[in-house]
Amino acid sequence: MAERVFITGVGMITAIGDNVTENLQQLLAQQSGLGYTRYIDTIYKDVLPVGEVKHANESLFQLAGLPPQEGLTRTTLLGLIAMREALEDAGISELNSVPAGFINASTVGGMCDTERVYFDIIDPGKEGSFLQYIDTLDCADCTQRIADIVGFSDHIATISTACSSSANALMFGARMIKQGLYSRMVCGGTEALTRFTLNGFNSLKNVDKQFCRPFDQQRTGLNLGEGAAYLVLESESFAKANNSRILGELSGYCNTNEAFHPTSPSPDGDGAFDAMRKAMEMSGIAREDVSYINVHGTATLNNDISEGKALERLFGTDVPPFSSTKPFTGHTLAAAGAIEAIYALLAIREGLIYPNLNFSEKMEELQITPVTTLMQGVAINHVISNSFGFGGNNASLVISKYEG
Amino acid sequence: MAAISPQPTFEENCFSSPISFSTTNLLPCLEPDYKPFIPANSLRRMSRVLKMGLAASLKCIADSGIKVSGPIVTGTGKGSLQDTEKFLKEIVTYKETALNPTPFIQSTYNSVNGLIALQQKCTAYNNTFVHRGFSFENALLDSMMLLQEGEDHVLTGAFEEITREHFYIKSRIGFWKEEQIDSRELLSHHSPGSVAGEGAAFFMLTNQPTEKSYASITGLKLLYKPATEKLLSALQTFAPAVDAVITGRNGDSRFDHFYDTVEKYFGNTPQIPFKQLCGEYDTASAFGMWLGAHLLRAQELPQAWIGQPIAKPVNRLLLYNHFYGEQHVLIMLERV
Repeated sequence: MAERVFITGVGMITAIGDNVTENLQQLLAQQSGLGYTRYIDTIYKDVLPVGEVKHANESLFQLAGLPPQEGLTRTTLLGLIAMREALEDAGISELNSVPAGFINASTVGGMCDTERVYFDIIDPGKEGSFLQYIDTLDCADCTQRIADIVGFSDHIATISTACSSSANALMFGARMIKQGLYSRMVCGGTEALTRFTLNGFNSLKNVDKQFCRPFDQQRTGLNLGEGAAYLVLESESFAKANNSRILGELSGYCNTNEAFHPTSPSPDGDGAFDAMRKAMEMSGIAREDVSYINVHGTATLNNDISEGKALERLFGTDVPPFSSTKPFTGHTLAAAGAIEAIYALLAIREGLIYPNLNFSEKMEELQITPVTTLMQGVAINHVISNSFGFGGNNASLVISKYEG
Repeated sequence: MAAISPQPTFEENCFSSPISFSTTNLLPCLEPDYKPFIPANSLRRMSRVLKMGLAASLKCIADSGIKVSGPIVTGTGKGSLQDTEKFLKEIVTYKETALNPTPFIQSTYNSVNGLIALQQKCTAYNNTFVHRGFSFENALLDSMMLLQEGEDHVLTGAFEEITREHFYIKSRIGFWKEEQIDSRELLSHHSPGSVAGEGAAFFMLTNQPTEKSYASITGLKLLYKPATEKLLSALQTFAPAVDAVITGRNGDSRFDHFYDTVEKYFGNTPQIPFKQLCGEYDTASAFGMWLGAHLLRAQELPQAWIGQPIAKPVNRLLLYNHFYGEQHVLIMLERV
């Protein structure tokens, strides 16, 4: 029998807070982090809203406990801040006391910084400290910088499956624990806003000029966000022997592919349906056991139809309360799965269901509507967290209350 | 399995061809005719590494004889550089307006995987690792775990391209040799840097041997920035005796000591280098594994390719590779 996988520490930074406590406060206050960018050099800075972390890089260096230096990108800094909190939260002072792996997720690596110096880098006539950013062009850079600074020396990996990247990082880490390869894995993702990605999604006509409206009839797209989140995963036997404080269980997960279109899900949500169904099956829970679904809910035309159809097909007329927290944070791409996994844990611990902000009109294709007001004092036992992305990459996680 | 590489590895009887080489420190792939694999209207839109990845995966599936699609797991250090470069430039050229989304879509690292799944109508598990010299290696680990978890077979691969622009970028931080060399002579040029390469290689991994099996993967170990002692202790537990070592030696004098350590550890065991054939890139170990698996089944490799005759029989092969001293991998391959 494979080991159960427990979550024993969490850390995060998003547009609504520099740590888990601040995120919870803003969720409770129903305060969105969406606004306009102060740090990206784009013609859309006053046009397209984003969920930007409210710090310049200089201030992120401080939060990460480092002196400002060349070569550390915003992606790395966000990741470091979340990583330090996660390790502290799990009570890990000596990282190498037991072998621990690190599975990171990233969609464009250090693009946030390299896009500023790229044309200098390719210009033979230019020399300067910008050359230190050459290594940051890929996705492994942020992973290795974080690993080296906090001291991971064992298994490391970086996953990139678009918007489901960090959900897949959590899954991969959990599977390594179940295989008995490691008793502790730290998994999640980091994402910084870039002009590259903003223009990419805008060229797909997928970005809303207003604050995003998931599951609303009038929605016209997503808002991008940035942030980072990591979760410490431990095997049941290790967590118990170590006396770890258990925050919850990663009881089920599933990764499927849509095999429908490079950037769109199937209209009936086949991939989403399968991902949720199989994750629940693994978790051993029935439909009525699901207390809350933190949907992917990007507010793009296609995602919300497809995900909504999948919910209706899977749960019939009894779809559990669901909401998208993207109107709080924006769509943080590679970090989204891990950020929302932490929101799922907070929902369980605090008895909360978050409101789906900016919703006003039911979609004509669906019978269901999201939760629109903050619900408190709810018994939450099992949360499904969805992450669906480009390339048809779907991932669903089931996060469950730890009953002792 | 199937490979597109700087050698004619995609063609039948590829080993009878003379070794292809370069004198510019950039060893490009011999790209095959894609038309038998990809419809013309799709080909037009696809950038280079997408074509290489998709064609190699499709040929691998055909070679395996397996009809039912299963999980797809890949590794790539850099994804589609051509598309990334194009989109970066178009943002500036067109001042962020009226951009064509295709290069953005194709620049996402999981686009090759998505494309294979789409082409194969494959809705199973799908994952992409993007971690320099651990990209293919983590894909391999993921695939082996999937087989352990009960999957019957997994399509596992790696793909990488080098562009002129990226070649220049990496030359600025010492990736390539300063002096221009004949790639066939790579290993006799002990100086900083190597020769750039590229390639796509795919493998169908099954949990049981089939009559088509080339080799069996019996061990995998990843080491991140190891000290020499850590490498040695991994070798001790991992590979007490082998018939030959497939070595990732690349002529880079800065990091040769790791290969020296392994060579010394195995004493007189033959060392079979492969980077003179494929150049250096994030996922070059996939080409090394392709070569090793071929050797185990055929029990031969042309002397012109590897510079030495093969002492038969070859039953156990260890592949050792590292990427610029940071990501090290040991893969044990055995004859089926």
